[in-house]
Amino acid sequence: MWIYEKKLEYPVKVDSCNPTLAAMILEQFGGPDGELSAGIRYLTQRWTMPTNQAKAILTDIGTEELVP
Amino acid sequence: MDIMHREQCLRKIQELEFAVIELNLYLDTHPTHQQALMDYNKLTQELMNAKIMYERQFGPLTNFGYAPSQYPWQWIESPWPWENEHTCKEDMSCGSMKRN
Repeated sequence: MWIYEKKLEYPVKVDSCNPTLAAMILEQFGGPDGELSAGIRYLTQRWTMPTNQAKAILTDIGTEELVP
Repeated sequence: MDIMHREQCLRKIQELEFAVIELNLYLDTHPTHQQALMDYNKLTQELMNAKIMYERQFGPLTNFGYAPSQYPWQWIESPWPWENEHTCKEDMSCGSMKRN
């Protein structure tokens, strides 16, 4: 099961409002071929991996991709 | 100033966590690399200590039983990670400025 850390992975400084850019970034993450899509695939395909290394890698990268 | 201090403590955690995540991923495919494993354990210890120090002063970073809370329930408190001076409403309910 997953635990949520109430912090960002990296510090972020936002100084201007750019809705067009924001929409593009969100599309990159949640749209077709986005990180979210890939992350869900990793997390569901790890169950059929033949080696422990593969199970671990898919679990860990899937976890990293999951939280925006 | 309190906000700077909180950000500094958080930055240390972010740095340690980045290193730990990378070592974790490396070890997933190189489980017998002794030096990497030693580094991972050393940084993990540092990270755990840094988090405990941070939480003692600024409240929990995790919930669902992973960290304790003072009274009243701290988990709900601002700032949430996506809040900053731009997203703060007029009533200051996102309390970046709230602590002490």
